Amino acid sequence: MNPTNRTRWVGYLIFGLSVFLIFCLLFEPFLKPPTLVVWMGQWHPLILHFPIVLLIIATFISLTGKRVPYLLLTIAALTTLITAITGFLLGLEANNKGDLLFWHQWTGSGIAILAAVWYWLDSMGYDKHFGVKVLQLTLVVLVGITGHLGGSITHGEDFLALPKEKKLEKIPENPLIYTHIVDRILTSNCISCHNSSKQKGQLLLSTFKGIMNGGETGKSVYPGKPDESLLIKRLLLPKHDKEHMPPEGESPLSANEIKILKEWISHGATDTLRLNHLENGEPLVDLVKEMMVPNPMEKWARLPFVHDSTLRNLGSDYLTITRLASETNALRVNTYKPPIYDSEIILKLRPIAKNIIEWDMSNLPLGIKEMGLVAACTNIEWLEIDQTPLSDSDIDTLKVLSNLKLLKVYETKISNASIPMFLKLKNLQQLYVWETAITGKALKELQIETPMLLISNGIDEELQLFFTTPKDSFDKKKYN
Amino acid sequence: MEKKKTEDESPLKANRRHFFSQLSVGIGSLALGSLLIPDLFKGGQGSIASQPIGIPHFAPKAKRVIYLFQSGAPSQLESFDYKPTLKKRMGEDLPESIRNGQRLTGMTSGQDKFPLMPSFAGFKQYGDSGAWISDFFPYTAKIADDICIVKSMHTEAINHDPAITFFQTGTQQSGRPSMGSWMSYGLGNENKNLPSFVVLTSRGKGNSQGLYSKLWSSGFLDSKHQGVLMQSGKDAVLYLADPDGISRSDKRHLLDHVSSLNKIHHVETGDDEIESRIAQYEMAFRMQMSVPDVMDIKKEPKHIIDLYGESSQVPGTYAANCLQARRLAENGVRFIQLYHQGWDQHGNLPNEMASQAKDVDQASAALVLDLKQRGMLEDTLVIWGGEFGRTNYCQGNFDPNNYGRDHHPRAFSIWMAGGGIKPGITHGETDEFGYNIIKDPVHVNDFHATIMQAMGLNHEQLTFKYQGRRFRLTDVAGNVVKDILT
Repeated sequence: MNPTNRTRWVGYLIFGLSVFLIFCLLFEPFLKPPTLVVWMGQWHPLILHFPIVLLIIATFISLTGKRVPYLLLTIAALTTLITAITGFLLGLEANNKGDLLFWHQWTGSGIAILAAVWYWLDSMGYDKHFGVKVLQLTLVVLVGITGHLGGSITHGEDFLALPKEKKLEKIPENPLIYTHIVDRILTSNCISCHNSSKQKGQLLLSTFKGIMNGGETGKSVYPGKPDESLLIKRLLLPKHDKEHMPPEGESPLSANEIKILKEWISHGATDTLRLNHLENGEPLVDLVKEMMVPNPMEKWARLPFVHDSTLRNLGSDYLTITRLASETNALRVNTYKPPIYDSEIILKLRPIAKNIIEWDMSNLPLGIKEMGLVAACTNIEWLEIDQTPLSDSDIDTLKVLSNLKLLKVYETKISNASIPMFLKLKNLQQLYVWETAITGKALKELQIETPMLLISNGIDEELQLFFTTPKDSFDKKKYN
Repeated sequence: MEKKKTEDESPLKANRRHFFSQLSVGIGSLALGSLLIPDLFKGGQGSIASQPIGIPHFAPKAKRVIYLFQSGAPSQLESFDYKPTLKKRMGEDLPESIRNGQRLTGMTSGQDKFPLMPSFAGFKQYGDSGAWISDFFPYTAKIADDICIVKSMHTEAINHDPAITFFQTGTQQSGRPSMGSWMSYGLGNENKNLPSFVVLTSRGKGNSQGLYSKLWSSGFLDSKHQGVLMQSGKDAVLYLADPDGISRSDKRHLLDHVSSLNKIHHVETGDDEIESRIAQYEMAFRMQMSVPDVMDIKKEPKHIIDLYGESSQVPGTYAANCLQARRLAENGVRFIQLYHQGWDQHGNLPNEMASQAKDVDQASAALVLDLKQRGMLEDTLVIWGGEFGRTNYCQGNFDPNNYGRDHHPRAFSIWMAGGGIKPGITHGETDEFGYNIIKDPVHVNDFHATIMQAMGLNHEQLTFKYQGRRFRLTDVAGNVVKDILT
């Protein structure tokens, strides 16, 4: 191979760049490059894709026994060196180099030097030599490692992790405001940039201490003074403001989340404050309680899959099955009285029993058979069996429905004998029982035992009397 | 040969070979598509077209709406917006700093003075919430803790027709689908034996404004979403009953024949409209049974009739319609629209308003209580209100015992109850003259967006493409009023 004028020039260039890179690496602590040179570092994320692709292609060609085209190898070596140098310049901007950046820099530089060596060996005609093959394979491995380290720096260390199931832990009954509420808000909105490995603006929001320490712009929280706290100020800036947090492209915090952070700071921003330390009626209490209501869609995510065609086949003119929302397998069933009733229209829903969350079957001639199926609907939360001939023994099977929240049994034949069944429904919140044989006394006792249960025994007598008593038309004279 | 060619080209006549040859291309492009656009088959949040029609976008709080529309615009100053300043400054001219150039209707633009007029009726606070309610509404006062009073409604329209059209269809010009039609389109039928959108009308003795069927029209949506006006007479739905001498089995026979003919036609043309027509015939046949059953309020027990008031037994009254509305809601009608006419008090307000309030007060409150005892207030949204408000100055002669008020779009009051609305709160505030909103304004578009939110619909995602662009009930505006939602 006779080196032409041009190839000689390229050889000098590659040699020069290699020397420059080594020089930079050795004398890093003493370097103060001008701004324009540092700016060149910004090109690193763009250029780095060339060496990755070109080195792998070149190695592949070489391993298949063919000669690597000269032009390909030249461009690969040159871009590798440029990438390493721009990467080095970009690294100068980091305030303190973490482990990730340290290893990324050295493996990256290693690639560049090895690529230069390959170019040199190739131009010497050693392209078929065993050592060159080893060198090529080493390069590919290094490219993989360096690329991964680089990705971890820019996208966070878990950028390759499998998508996590976004299942937040349930907030306990009496939550710590910082640990269970504030930290949750920060975790879902801020932590991706303000964590221990990627501390943007030197601010760490994943720990209580970090929040109190603040960042490079100053203290983030002034206890008791939300309006002066940078944490709040940045959230409230106009969206297009460069200082607004979270930055453009990220979803902003909801109004309630901001309110909670503000209230927490007003209450002194401590990590010991608990919900029960607050007086009822304080805004923070309502805000926190709102957060504690679980999102139904999460709860329903574990329901078995039902196909739309199943719903179409099981439905009929008098029975409508609908999804409670798009993208959920939670179902609502509405049943209406057909001219000729056959319990089969209800019983055939057995295959989707686990999916039924709400069922309106009021005003049907229901019996024990239908209740047997309802008892199999273990996820049901809302059940309307009012205006039916059901009796105590018919509905006794419903005691297993531990998810039931609302039960309408008004205008039925049930009596006091059903009270023990109601008591077994641990999650029951609302019970409609008027026009049954249940006595007022029994209901009073039930209310004492379950103080949180809303029991509707029809319209209050006094109110009914007010409505029943005819009134004179508006008395005009009174106002003259 | 010629014939064969046309057969092959018909898109409805794909044979096995077509199927397989196109399947391979289809699967290939699906695979490519999913590689290029990973979310292609996911239908994420942002994609408008992917939202299925007939299912709520998210879990709803309200499953149905009863809208008690007070046509003619009841005065907020004699109902829910208590303004003692008007009494103190009675007869004084409305300061220009307050009117601020607001346009006037032709009815008062000729007046050279705008004397402030206080409410004829007194006000008291009710319930734990301490809501101010006028003496015209003693029954509504009893449900003060169940309702959310919005004192800061505003609209752009200043005359009845555009204003009511705005409230019903989201725009002042007629031709767009009504809110009930949008709900029917977005959520579908709960009960396949009744229309999903029903309209009931009644009329008081006060000065009335017209109602037109365009208010419950389905506009560019499928006509099956149109509101069905139910009459108070013998035939609740016109032309639904069979003519004399036709028995139900004759009718069945007839329908079977028509249906078989239609099916032949469907095989020939492949037009889906034919199938939808067959389904509509069948629904009408079932409605012949279900409608009389639902409309028969004679089955109601005495304590319920007493609750709604004596007039609930007189067909065609507002009270009867309220009772009817509850029965329709129980039977899975998605949107029940009531109109009570006669609220346009340009003059003789004290007398007319007292009479109008008497028509609606007890039955409206009774409806809320009745729904509440049935647990239906949990998933039924009740709305009470008119198309705009009335001026704080008097129209015509200044007489505190017999005055009128002109149209006022800048601030007025409505109330809502149940179905995901916070009970026992008052939202928004007007200035001391009751003329301008000073806190939390709610525009008609916001009102629509909020109702849709309660029904589990994202008002920005329920769209219909017509004449080259996508339409929404809120068109290009509307913000959900989160403060009044639970």
